[in-house]
Amino acid sequence: MGTFSIKKGKNILLKGAAKKEIIAVSFPKHVALQPSDFRGLNLRLAVEVGDSVKVGATVLSDKTNPEIRIASPASGKVSAINRGPRRALLSVVVELDGRQEAETFQTFKEEQIESISNDEVTSFLLKGHLWPVIRQRPFSKVADPKKKPKSIFIHAMNTEPLALDSECILQNKEKEFQAGLMILKKLTDGDVNLCMSEGAKAKALTQAQGVQRHVFSGPHPAGNVSTHIHCVDPINKGDHVWYVEAQDVLRIASLFLKGVYPVERIVAVTGEGAGGHQVYAKTIMGAPLSVLLEGDIPEQMRYLSGSVLTGKDVGAHGFLRFYDTQVTILPEGGKREFLGWLSPGVNKYTFSKTFVSSFLPEKEVSLDSDKHGSDRAIVLNNIYNPLVPLDIMTYFLLKAVLSGNIEEAEELGILECDEEDFALCTFACPSKTDVGGIIGQGLALIEKEG
Amino acid sequence: MFEEFLEKRSKKIRRLFEKGKPLERLYPLHEAMDAFLLTLGTKAKKAPYARDSIDIKRVMIFVCVALMPCIFMGFYNTGYQIQMAQGEAYSFSGCLWLGLLKVLPIILVAYMAGGFWEVLFAVVRKHEINEGFLVTGILYALILPPTIPLWQVAVGISFGVVIAKEIFGGTGMNVLNPALTARAFVFFAYPAQMSGDAVWAAVDGFTRATPLAVVATAQKGTSAVAALTEAGYAFKDVFLGFIPGSIGETSTLACLIGLIFLLVTRVASWRIVAGCALGLTAMSSVFLVFKGENAIAFFSLPVYWHLALGGFAFGSIFMATDPVSSSATEQGRWIYGFLIGVLVILIRVVNPAYPEGVMLAILFMNVFAPLIDHFVVRKNIKRRLARASGK
Repeated sequence: MGTFSIKKGKNILLKGAAKKEIIAVSFPKHVALQPSDFRGLNLRLAVEVGDSVKVGATVLSDKTNPEIRIASPASGKVSAINRGPRRALLSVVVELDGRQEAETFQTFKEEQIESISNDEVTSFLLKGHLWPVIRQRPFSKVADPKKKPKSIFIHAMNTEPLALDSECILQNKEKEFQAGLMILKKLTDGDVNLCMSEGAKAKALTQAQGVQRHVFSGPHPAGNVSTHIHCVDPINKGDHVWYVEAQDVLRIASLFLKGVYPVERIVAVTGEGAGGHQVYAKTIMGAPLSVLLEGDIPEQMRYLSGSVLTGKDVGAHGFLRFYDTQVTILPEGGKREFLGWLSPGVNKYTFSKTFVSSFLPEKEVSLDSDKHGSDRAIVLNNIYNPLVPLDIMTYFLLKAVLSGNIEEAEELGILECDEEDFALCTFACPSKTDVGGIIGQGLALIEKEG
Repeated sequence: MFEEFLEKRSKKIRRLFEKGKPLERLYPLHEAMDAFLLTLGTKAKKAPYARDSIDIKRVMIFVCVALMPCIFMGFYNTGYQIQMAQGEAYSFSGCLWLGLLKVLPIILVAYMAGGFWEVLFAVVRKHEINEGFLVTGILYALILPPTIPLWQVAVGISFGVVIAKEIFGGTGMNVLNPALTARAFVFFAYPAQMSGDAVWAAVDGFTRATPLAVVATAQKGTSAVAALTEAGYAFKDVFLGFIPGSIGETSTLACLIGLIFLLVTRVASWRIVAGCALGLTAMSSVFLVFKGENAIAFFSLPVYWHLALGGFAFGSIFMATDPVSSSATEQGRWIYGFLIGVLVILIRVVNPAYPEGVMLAILFMNVFAPLIDHFVVRKNIKRRLARASGK
């Protein structure tokens, strides 16, 4: 058990937090599976338009590792297969019949879990289509079932703006959560590291057995997987660790105990633009955002699956991404201001000290999608350091990637990072440099070159 | 309302600069004007979908604001020196007016000549005009003697912008500080107009040695402070800036006001400034301690005089802190600043050729900044490797 106090970073106190009250929203008419959610998989279709599918039926499977499959979260009919440029698969949409008939698998009793073997766990997760919830570092891609990780991290805290509070979901789920942890324990010879925030009270977390509990405090990105790995069990070249979202631990347990592909998803509906719908919405995987908002989708808003820092703009008619437990509705920006560079900025949000607001007491802020400037060469290179708690020299890592020097990028620790770790840097950069994007490109290049 | 009116106007004018239109190539010029009047209002296309309100424009404007006290003192002191030299009766507005007449043309020429290259490169390279030039132009003007011929101002800034910045790839890529490089160029190309005793007060035929020159030429074995007092330089005047020197650098007080502004707004790195002061203090103390019986006068100059004299305050606050040409690591900044301080003293005291060493010290350390960073970065890499093999 470790206690880590993260000093670097910054919390953005965004307006529009969700009430911690789980409310079931109306059942969606469509759900979608989006291949781009599954990094590292090269997915092939297992269905055609018009096919009937049940909950847990295979919709997509990986070309290189055919036993990794993606299941339909609903029963109904495949209504559309959307492709992008060069026929890249964008999404598979399933029209629900409302019956939620499910494929059934064998079930295990709680007492049996202790005696299942590693291979059995792996093959059951694969068979139950739940394998993709396990991801690996480096590269943040779906884990390779043939490998053994040096440890597994359970991501039971999130410090992104307005993120879902894992504790809330784990309330009264001690048994299931413990079962999920025990199942995951079979997959590694190392530790299962349960990472939670300071002051977590949910019994599922505080009384978890057979795992290493780690407590993190401090500003974002104290809750990022990279921060946890960096502090607890850092990876070097050749290592890999796996990580699973707390909510997915419950799903794993559910698959083993109930023998049905679990589709329930609790999503924090957040952001100023979410009208009065800021709650913890209970829905199913791949649900459309409009259902989470009960059809209340005004224009001039950004509809993000995920947080404002790392989410994806999916549009008002978009669908929840596979790993997201949050949607953010952000007002659209773009208002032009007269002599904006001169304004004292009482209401302008900034990490810097160049606006009057920097010297006022911190309060909840309302942000929009305005970029507040145009792209420039990096001039201020001391912006990033106070925002990255990892022992990473962000500016030099950035330069190494930009100059295509993969070796140096590896030496500087790029394999420990993910795009999301630099979201705050991108946010704060006066030159509007896409720091996270550049790191992402570097990682992609390294992965490609093996 | 007013914004909408402007936006409409701007859109109309923009048509002239669009692709296929007569002024297409000058688009960066239009863009700069447009963005000057109205914030751009572009939206974030990728995560993060909200962004900090700060941009480079704001940063550069803030450096200019920090320079305001120095600019004001530049006007005032240039006029004051003229009045002194001509033996006229003192008047505050007279000082300002005389100074304005002398200095404003220099600033304008620096901006126009440098701005021309800046726009030219933006047009050729098809990028937006960088606001960094707002700072380079004024910094350069402030470190020139008030008597400099205007054509030399133009030649110098052209050298600085083109050779020191643009051929390295433009803003953010330069190794040397462009304003200082420009000054170094004029300094070595036209020494008669850049150094000596005759160039500091803008009156023909008037000579007065700067305090540093007084100390440099003082007899061996004498006290530096005594020589300064004899030449009519009191510490108060030196600190406040009522002495001959380059336009904007004479007043340590004005520089300190600028420093406070830069530090409160966190635009400049305090580590570099502190490193410079520390290095200068350390090295001049060494000379003080080890001065012999018959040492040159410079050995005996106390630390606080060193800090206030010449371009040290201006250089360490506004020049050394240029984030592009200085060290980019926290530790590196300390080392970089410290060595600038040390070098300033070495050049002042030991080098007989130049009484002042700030410009050369900073340029020299600009060259070494990447090396310092290299070692700091290597240390990080070593730590990482040790962690890997330590398992």
